[in-house]
Amino acid sequence: MNIRLITLFIILSLAACVQAPVFKAGNYASIQSNYPIVKVNGVDVEPVYSLDIDAGENSLVIIYNTYQYDYHCSFTWEAMAATAYEVTDQENREPLTLYRWVRKNGLWAIRMDPVHPLRCVRDAR
Amino acid sequence: MLYGSMLSVHAASPVDGVSSVTDRDIRESAIAFVNTSTTPGLEGATISLDKADRQSEQWRASLGFAAEFTLRDHIYNGFWGLAAIGGSLSDKIDLIGDAGQPVHLDITRNVVALRGSLGLSFPINEYFKLRPYLSLIVSDMRSNTIVDGLIIPVPASNTTTSVTFDTSAQMLSTVGTIDALYSRWYGDNRLELVAEYNLIYTDSFSSDNPILSTIAWNHTVQAKSRYSGPTDLTTEGRPWRWNGYVNYTSYISNDTISLGYKNFFDVGGGLDWEINIKPLDWFGWQALGIRAGVIIGQDVDGFNVGLTAR
Repeated sequence: MNIRLITLFIILSLAACVQAPVFKAGNYASIQSNYPIVKVNGVDVEPVYSLDIDAGENSLVIIYNTYQYDYHCSFTWEAMAATAYEVTDQENREPLTLYRWVRKNGLWAIRMDPVHPLRCVRDAR
Repeated sequence: MLYGSMLSVHAASPVDGVSSVTDRDIRESAIAFVNTSTTPGLEGATISLDKADRQSEQWRASLGFAAEFTLRDHIYNGFWGLAAIGGSLSDKIDLIGDAGQPVHLDITRNVVALRGSLGLSFPINEYFKLRPYLSLIVSDMRSNTIVDGLIIPVPASNTTTSVTFDTSAQMLSTVGTIDALYSRWYGDNRLELVAEYNLIYTDSFSSDNPILSTIAWNHTVQAKSRYSGPTDLTTEGRPWRWNGYVNYTSYISNDTISLGYKNFFDVGGGLDWEINIKPLDWFGWQALGIRAGVIIGQDVDGFNVGLTAR
């Protein structure tokens, strides 16, 4: 009985892992990054990992840190309203990639429509 | 990574006589079997072996996954892995008895194990990273040994007979691993190189065979290379990539007599389906693949087929 309850608890917990994104009211999208966002539409900002952004064209600079260099990666893309985006390192040609994040179900999300950085500028640390 | 595969090996093992087999050989053989089945990075395989004085079939398979996860505000990332592992060995060895008679050893070993890994990944630059991690492995091994041809002294006569031993051992292994990973893109193609070193401490307990209540230190190295490129294939809107690989594995500390081999090359290729999902909204699962390869070595040859996930 206890094992069944524990199993049920684990299944329910796992099935609730992927939450539907919540968007700011209005014409907004959201972005999450595994690495610090330091510039938004040309304006320097304190490093942040998540943002609400206006739908439409956006540009971000995100820093991928390594022990030898910092890579300042610039993204420009057309954000759709009520859409979640995510930036992560995915062993692609450039250190970071921007994806459209789509909740598939409670267990997993899918990463769609990769956008590669326009450039990644390398600075020695 | 997720592995389910099979491998086959051929080994050379000059074993002169029953009296030359020591307790140490028995211990090392059992621990070598468990280590070759469960150590991280050694993946799934099936090996068959065919020499005049030794024939064996060994397979190992695992179902598991390993991935990095981001630790915000740190340059290093975390690394974790979990795997359930199974392996089996059928080892037939011909020896010469102390009285010069032929003695045939028929050893069957089976192991099931669980492995958990946790560590860190240090990106040195965009191409190169170091990844040290620790793994804990709990294994349950069962052995059945039939010795055919032993001479049991009986008054007024000598009788050649067959003896069967059943033994079991539970092993707790701690493995320290360091991976050095290098990758580089050439157009749409990608080269990946990995060097891996494992230091394995095994604590073995056996209630029915005191020889197997022991501790052991072992180490292995692997060098892996992989080259991949795009294809025109897509499924559910997701692309497939081809890959070819060459891996070298060396069980440095094993005696050749333990399993009949110490090192081999694994050469093959496969296809990866770039599913690119994020389970539990926590870690990336980029690709699900199939692969097939051949095993080539001085003392071993065989093949492997399997599934991979990364």
